[in-house]
Amino acid sequence: MHLLPTNEQVQIVDTVAAFLSNLAPVERLRPDKHGQIGNPDASLWPQLGELGFLGLGLAEDDGGIGLGAVEEALVFREYGRNLVSTEIFGITLGAHLAAESNLNTASEIVAGNIRVGIANPRGAITSENGLSASFHLMEAGEAELIVVLTPDGPHLLPASAFEDGEDCPGMDSHNLLHRATLRNARPLSSAASSNAHRSRALLLSAAYASGLSKAALDMAVDYAKMREQFGKVIGSFQAVKHKCADMAIAAEVASCQVDFASVVVAENRPDALYHATAAKLVAVDAALKNGATNIQVHGAIGFTAETDAHVYLKRAHTIDVLGGDLRKTRASMMGQAAPA
Amino acid sequence: MSASGDMSSGYSFNIHGPPAWADNFCDCLETSLMNLDFSPEDEAFRAEARDWLHDNVPREERPPSDDGMRAFDLAWQKLQYDGGWAGVSWPEEYGGRGLGLTRQLIWYEEYARAGAPNAELLFVGCNHAAPTIMTWGTDEQKQYHLPRILKGEVAWCQGFSEPNNGSDLGGLRCRAVVDGDHLVVNGSKIWTSSAHLADWQELLVRTDTVAPKHKGISWVICDMNTPGIELRPILIMTAPGHHHFNQVFYNNVRIPLSNVVGPLNEGWKVAMSTLGFERGTASMSEQIRYNVVVEKLVEMARERFGASALEHDEIGARLAQLRAESAAVRAMTYSIASRAAGGQPPGSEASLMRAFFSQLQQRIRRIALDVIGEDALELPDTNDPWIRPYLRSYSNTIAAGTSEIQRNIIGERVLGLPR
Ligand SMILES: Cc1cc2nc3c(=O)[nH]c(=O)nc-3n(C[C@H](O)[C@H](O)[C@H](O)COP(=O)(O)OP(=O)(O)OC[C@H]3O[C@@H](n4cnc5c(N)ncnc54)[C@H](O)[C@@H]3O)c2cc1C
Repeated sequence: MHLLPTNEQVQIVDTVAAFLSNLAPVERLRPDKHGQIGNPDASLWPQLGELGFLGLGLAEDDGGIGLGAVEEALVFREYGRNLVSTEIFGITLGAHLAAESNLNTASEIVAGNIRVGIANPRGAITSENGLSASFHLMEAGEAELIVVLTPDGPHLLPASAFEDGEDCPGMDSHNLLHRATLRNARPLSSAASSNAHRSRALLLSAAYASGLSKAALDMAVDYAKMREQFGKVIGSFQAVKHKCADMAIAAEVASCQVDFASVVVAENRPDALYHATAAKLVAVDAALKNGATNIQVHGAIGFTAETDAHVYLKRAHTIDVLGGDLRKTRASMMGQAAPA
Repeated sequence: MSASGDMSSGYSFNIHGPPAWADNFCDCLETSLMNLDFSPEDEAFRAEARDWLHDNVPREERPPSDDGMRAFDLAWQKLQYDGGWAGVSWPEEYGGRGLGLTRQLIWYEEYARAGAPNAELLFVGCNHAAPTIMTWGTDEQKQYHLPRILKGEVAWCQGFSEPNNGSDLGGLRCRAVVDGDHLVVNGSKIWTSSAHLADWQELLVRTDTVAPKHKGISWVICDMNTPGIELRPILIMTAPGHHHFNQVFYNNVRIPLSNVVGPLNEGWKVAMSTLGFERGTASMSEQIRYNVVVEKLVEMARERFGASALEHDEIGARLAQLRAESAAVRAMTYSIASRAAGGQPPGSEASLMRAFFSQLQQRIRRIALDVIGEDALELPDTNDPWIRPYLRSYSNTIAAGTSEIQRNIIGERVLGLPR
């Protein structure tokens, strides 16, 4: 039993963290003075692909590196910290689905050459003759493929299967949103190991959310050490200090459960779904709470678009609804048997 | 895949491209990957522990207080000692098995699974006094006290808090003056759990009133039968007549100087070393036990509300979150154990976990009342798995450092915020 990353895993994390802080600093998401926003991350994909990060968990035959869920989760935590476009979920989950279904697109996806958006249902899905439902498409403007995140797990579809596309402004304004519909659409991917894909989707959302919760904590603590009122830095006031302590606790809880779940998922244990579900529950809770508290610790500046506090909160809401929000995830948790 | 890792941005990494780190990584697959596997030796140990517990866990209910509880806890400790299970991670020279923290963790897991009793009376001796004496004690102190603690011959209590010094422990005033080869103690301690059942006490006294407050304290072994010690029982809020802790008065109590552990006036440092221990690994058995409590509640709720109702009900949503959080506490415990196995002392993660766990316990105990419903107003005579533990959970965020003090510590020592 061992739950600390190896030196090599630390090296992977350091490498992706350095890459992102150079090429995707969070400030890239600041709107310019016209409020013009968008997602600038598409240019990262080929570079991340070349460095091997997009295919971390894929077999070498599929163009991947041959590592597993542990490394994917560690790297997704960094994606969360840096608010990397949610397309990263489409790419990573899509590559796994393509590889498992022997679609020859897998190696092109992990090379960063094929754009893969995501679709999240806006209500019930019927799956009698293929999938039918209304969706929010995310980061799908130039997507060739779409990963549909259903409560039963992700499926891969061609973007062309979606009809009635309609622009839709997003609350998380850096996350490009459309509405669209599927009618009796057949996934490209097989559903052979849908529980494994479902566990992976939950785990990666949790890892991303745990990164959000840590980034919001770090931002609040940095500000609390610097901002002065009443002749002291605000972090010396217990009302602020204790808020920061609570954020630290939430981030640690999330991070430990993500680590634990990542091992369980990597080893494909029978309790993988349970622990991945638990990870999503604690990590999204941490991301939402820390996102909110970070704004409060900043005062009015936290309410502006001139700092990044709001983007962590909004992204936490986006990650919450992916594949089923906390309310639905809790219901799913109660439908599961506790691990032996 | 290209091996160049050539970045158009000109940014260079300390390692070059995926094959380099991927190869490097795959070479050491066998060393210390994150995993939840236990070695065959560990699994054999687990099986052995499970069998032994199955045959030996006391079937009778643990008496909730007084002499009955003392006799029960000591007998259970002695049984574990005789079976070779007391002090799994204690060094062999002190009568333990000298096994690592992983084995200790396995033992706790099996202990919880077997529903073995929480022999609280022994906590201070096994988890405070003993590690303190191992670290700071003289050979005589070690030889006399450690075996007696391990064999379940004696019970210890903790005399730290005072009427005017709880959170501000460093300001304690219970006075001790050197008189020949003795210390003479005058003053009082309070909230001393089980002082009325204890043979020995770890006692913090002020031996220098002039030095700065943390530099004038000594850590002393006090024989509870010494003349001049008087107790005032204090009843607690869990149930009428429940005597848990005491105020202890010291009136010219003479303690041999040879009972001072660590250097005179260095008691603060000595005490902090074991508080660190308490906040780190000592509560592992509890942390691992808690998902069992949650599952019991899930079962009760399924019976009362129906399985499918739980997927919609507010109680179901809370239980789901508690399931996730108790899974996370176990994950945190594993991660602290991994760190400790690598030789790192429990650090910031331990204070984060303690603060989280004490409040989680309260949430878990609280929901029991909602699951039970109106009948929660009844206080069962004996066999009370829910009501007394619920009331007792209010002490979780007070004892051993209030949750406010925990947050101060996290804010200042973990996050580096100013005082
Ligand atoms: C069940 C139980 C068993 C115990 N057993 C023992 C024992 O065996 N031996 C022993 O020595 N002690 C024992 N204690 C005592 C325990 O260690 C103290 O209760 C604890 O340290 C708090 O001290 P206090 O009760 O004096 O509260 P106080 O320190 O007076 O605190 C009162 C309130 O003020 C808050 N507060 C105080 N200082 C600060 C600050 N700086 N910042 C923010 N808030 C602050 C506290 O958080 C608390 O809410 C036990 C307590 C309980 C409840």
